[in-house]
Amino acid sequence: MREITEEIRQEIKDMIFDYYAEECEVEKDEITMDTNPQEDLGSDSLMFVELIEMTADKYDLDIKLQSIGKYMLKAPMDTMSDVVEMFCKIYQYGNDIVNQ
Amino acid sequence: MYNRAFLFNGIGSKPEKLLVNLPPELMDKYEFYLETAFGRLGLNKDLEKNKAYDGRVAEWIISLICDRVVFEHYIEKGIIPDIGAGYSSGIVSISSCFGAVPHEFAHDIIMMNRATMRCLEEHDEKLDMGIVIGFSYNDIEEMFADKFSPDEIIIGSGNSRFHVMVSGRADAVEKALLLCQNEGAIKAFSFGTGVAYHHPIMEKYSKEYVDFCASTEYKDPVYPILSIFNREIMTTGKQVMTENQLNVYTPIRWDLALNKLEELGVTEFFDVSANGAVSKFSRVSRKCKIYTLEDV
Repeated sequence: MREITEEIRQEIKDMIFDYYAEECEVEKDEITMDTNPQEDLGSDSLMFVELIEMTADKYDLDIKLQSIGKYMLKAPMDTMSDVVEMFCKIYQYGNDIVNQ
Repeated sequence: MYNRAFLFNGIGSKPEKLLVNLPPELMDKYEFYLETAFGRLGLNKDLEKNKAYDGRVAEWIISLICDRVVFEHYIEKGIIPDIGAGYSSGIVSISSCFGAVPHEFAHDIIMMNRATMRCLEEHDEKLDMGIVIGFSYNDIEEMFADKFSPDEIIIGSGNSRFHVMVSGRADAVEKALLLCQNEGAIKAFSFGTGVAYHHPIMEKYSKEYVDFCASTEYKDPVYPILSIFNREIMTTGKQVMTENQLNVYTPIRWDLALNKLEELGVTEFFDVSANGAVSKFSRVSRKCKIYTLEDV
C-alpha cells in the first residue's frame, strides 16, 4: 500500500475537478463534492476511463480497469466525493482496490 | 506517404449531441443539407413524427449529414487526408465524402436499413448489440469462449484496449453484458436496436440492402480508404462497394485498423464526427494525436 498525504489527496481532487470542468464545459467552482458527475455534469464512462488513464500516467500506476469496475460494484460513483475517494484509493492500493 | 487519416464514425450518436457541437456557420450548411435530404426522402424533420423505422434511419442520416459538414469544413481549412477509415456505417459516410458515391446514394443506403429491420421483424428474430467498456478484445474473447457459441454472440468490433462492441441474439447479449458487468466492466449496456450489425446472422436478412449497395457504379475514391475488415488499402470503386456490402454482417477490428494506419505512417488522425465520438473510443500510440472538430 502506498501512503497518501493530504497534499496528494488535494492534488488528486484538483486534478479531478479540473478535468470534469474542462470536459463538461462548466466552471470549476460550480462543482462541489456533492455534484453527481453523470446527472449534474453530463459526464460518461469514456470520460471516466480517460481520467483513469490520466491518473495512471501521472502517478505511474499499473491499474487494470476491471479492478476498478469490480470496486464500483460495491461503491457506485454517485458524487464527486465518491470519485475523489476512489481515485485516492487507486493511488494507495492500485489493483488491490478491489479488496477495499 | 500517409501522414494524415480521417476517421468516420458509425451510427449511435443522438442528433442533439452532434448538433450542439456545430458552430453557427456549419449549422447553416447542415440545415441546407438536412432540408434537401429529408425533402427528397420524405422524412420529417420533427423526428418523433416519423414512423418507427423512418425515425431510426432519419437519426442515422443526420449523423451522415453532420459528417459531411465536418468533412467539408476540414477540407476548407486545408486539412486534406492522405487516407481514411470508416467505423461501421462510417463506411457509408466515407464512401460519399471521399467521392466514391454521391451523397444522395449514401442516404439511400442508410434508408435500406428499413428493409433489413422489416425482414428481421417478419422472421421474429430478436437481436441486439452492446458496448462493453473496460475490457479488450482478447479479454472478452477469453471470457466468452466457454460460455457462448458464435451463433449466439460474437465480438462485433474490437475498438480499443478498453472498448468492445458485441453483437448477436438479444438474450445472449443481455447475459453477456451482465457477465461483463460482474467481471468488472466499467460499463456494459445494450443498444436495444433489434439488429445485430456485424454478426454473420445478418447476412440472410440484409439481401435487399446488399443488392442495393451494388445498384450503382462506384467511382474510385479521391483518397484511399483502409478496409476495416482485411486492413487492405482500397483505391478502387469496386473495393469500396464490397466494403459497403460486407459491412452489415462482418465483424470489425477497428483497433487493428488504427494500428495498421500507424504502421503506414499516419501520425495525425482527424475525427470527422461532430461530437468527437471516434476519439473517445479509439486509442493511438503516444507519437500520434486524434484531432476533433473542437481542435480545428
